[in-house]
Amino acid sequence: MSNNGTKTTLLRLEDINTYYGPIHILQGVSLEVFAGELVCLLGGNASGKSTTLKTILGIVKPASGRVVFNGEAIQNQPTGYRVERGMAVVPENRRIFGSMSVLENLEMGAFLRHDRDGIKADFERILGLFPRLKERLHQLGGTLSGGEQQMLAMGRALMSRPKLLLMDEPSMGLAPKLVEQNFELIQQVNQQGTTVFMVEQNANMALSIAHRGYVVQTGRIVLADEAKNLLDNEQLRKAYLGR
Amino acid sequence: MSQNKIGVDQWVEQYDQRVNKAKGLQGFIARTSQRLPPWGWLIVLVAVGALLPVITQNNFAIRIAGNIALMGTLALGLNVVVGYAGLLDLGFVAFYGIGAYTYAYLSSDFSGVHLPTWVSLPIIIVISALFGLVLGSPSLRLLGDYLAIVTLGFGQIFVQLMTSLTRVSLPGHERPVDLTGGPNGIINLDKLSLFGFTARTVTDHYLILLVVLAVALLVIYHLNRSRIGRAWRALREDELAAEAMGMPTRRLKLQAFAIGAAVAGFSGALFAGWQGSVFPANFDTTLLISVYAIIVLGGLGSLPGVVVGSIVMVAAPDILRDVTLAGTLFYVGVLVTLIGAIRPRWQTALLIGLVVVFGVIVRLIVGALDAQALAEPQLSNSLITNTVRSWLIIPVNATIIGNYAFGLLILMVLGVSRIKHSVWRLAALVPTLYVLIFVWETRLSQEPSVTRLLFVGVLLIVLMIYRPNGLLGQKRVEIV
Repeated sequence: MSNNGTKTTLLRLEDINTYYGPIHILQGVSLEVFAGELVCLLGGNASGKSTTLKTILGIVKPASGRVVFNGEAIQNQPTGYRVERGMAVVPENRRIFGSMSVLENLEMGAFLRHDRDGIKADFERILGLFPRLKERLHQLGGTLSGGEQQMLAMGRALMSRPKLLLMDEPSMGLAPKLVEQNFELIQQVNQQGTTVFMVEQNANMALSIAHRGYVVQTGRIVLADEAKNLLDNEQLRKAYLGR
Repeated sequence: MSQNKIGVDQWVEQYDQRVNKAKGLQGFIARTSQRLPPWGWLIVLVAVGALLPVITQNNFAIRIAGNIALMGTLALGLNVVVGYAGLLDLGFVAFYGIGAYTYAYLSSDFSGVHLPTWVSLPIIIVISALFGLVLGSPSLRLLGDYLAIVTLGFGQIFVQLMTSLTRVSLPGHERPVDLTGGPNGIINLDKLSLFGFTARTVTDHYLILLVVLAVALLVIYHLNRSRIGRAWRALREDELAAEAMGMPTRRLKLQAFAIGAAVAGFSGALFAGWQGSVFPANFDTTLLISVYAIIVLGGLGSLPGVVVGSIVMVAAPDILRDVTLAGTLFYVGVLVTLIGAIRPRWQTALLIGLVVVFGVIVRLIVGALDAQALAEPQLSNSLITNTVRSWLIIPVNATIIGNYAFGLLILMVLGVSRIKHSVWRLAALVPTLYVLIFVWETRLSQEPSVTRLLFVGVLLIVLMIYRPNGLLGQKRVEIV
């Protein structure tokens, strides 16, 4: 991807400042995601990872700065508008609708779409991607195992046929083996053409599948590089990889 | 076991087998409910309901049935707001009142306007829905408990306004104008009249309400299965996730408020037309509690639950008005509880025998000590009561002793529940049961108006313990 000369920018954050009350959370965050890429944002606790994601999605509004998605400045648009324009999120802790069936959960993902045939095609595609969901189509979401819930959350997000898939801590609360499986799925989704922006604490795992990575620390981007360079980065190794 | 069907796991697949294996009444109900589609149930409901006036000419019974249909319709509206959208709206009854008062303004001498009901109903629906939006919009920023308090305030304000807007200075009027009739309400409302048909008898009203309930069930059933219904449920489950899916959460909430208010206003208008008058006291907290009890009892979000809940909640207090019937229910209830709670079963029989023996001994002792203290048992027309009173002592000053016994009973019940050893427990149950029956005969059966509420309360507590999700509620799934 990186040696492709004609990269188009899908998402760009320009000098974002976000406050929670008097607390300055994001302090001039700028980053860029190109179409087709898999980019991860790394950082420890309270570094501003999730706030960055919420700012992209419009759940939190920035005090200043621009969010440009697909060439359009959207920082003042509501979440629904952004979802309609092609964003989707797999939230932290998955947050699937527990008392609704797997089928209904998937339908909720396509809430803003009206092209019946397209929805049907995507539905089949997603069931192909996650055969386990097909087996459990009429089961309530809350009765799924953790790994299956993660699949459902991803399937639900993909049902909106997003240009950009946002993932908030996909490894959280999953067994190590499932984490691995999950990252393989993310990579697979990316290879099928969906741009992925992932927020993650598990730096090793994230960088092993990502093309590029950003490191955020107390609301500032401190490192930005190709994933393989970051894996070799002495500073990062000490801070996050523990070796 | 045979091969699994695709998309069905073992437990689900064996469901048919389990149902077919179930015996007796339980099995019959399970099998029928499976075969009958939802619209089939609706037809059964309407058919059974329509038969009632044919079976009985008893206006009291038909009035209760009409009340059930009315409260059921009202509860359906609340079910949309609370059951589907998950918004704890405690001002809901105000919309019922708004509907009723609007009917009064549109069809009475109070305002001088006399619209036929089929003309005024659409107006009432629109007005109530608008009020729903008015209450809904400031509530959007509030969650859970805060929403509950604000809406509770709205409900209270409505009652206060209706009580006190009796002397309002309006431009163009020299004297203050009475807008609401105050605590005396508005009386002599026009009868319900639909397309030339005017409802006069109790049966007329009942049939209208039955049809309205059926239509409301149908509409809300389809609403729930539509896109908006699913969105509401998603909203109830997880608002943040729903927002992240791009759902217009604000608009969805407002829609729930407006639709709930419209249904409430509609039923309020029918209520006003039936009662022929409206008073502020019709829309107080008691009604709110009843409506909530209906949907909680039936199971939040369940439509059959609303019907069953309103049958129980409306019929129970009215049936219990009858002392003989209440007595029978009391003893049958105690018996069923004992049979259910005590194993092996012969111990139940032993226990009942011991209670009677205990009673006879107490009677003999008290009789020997002071023969004057015993009152002659008043015979009633209930066999059970007469049987019980033949061995129970009824003291002369039954009221005072009954009060003390009531306090004692609570202590004894608490005591019994602490005893672990089964033999001692059985032994302790003997005097406890005796006191329970004593309290019933001396105090509770004498004051049916209090007792029936106690009864309903106990019923609710017991139901909520054994079925926390309501009678027909879906089990909520917690995500850990």
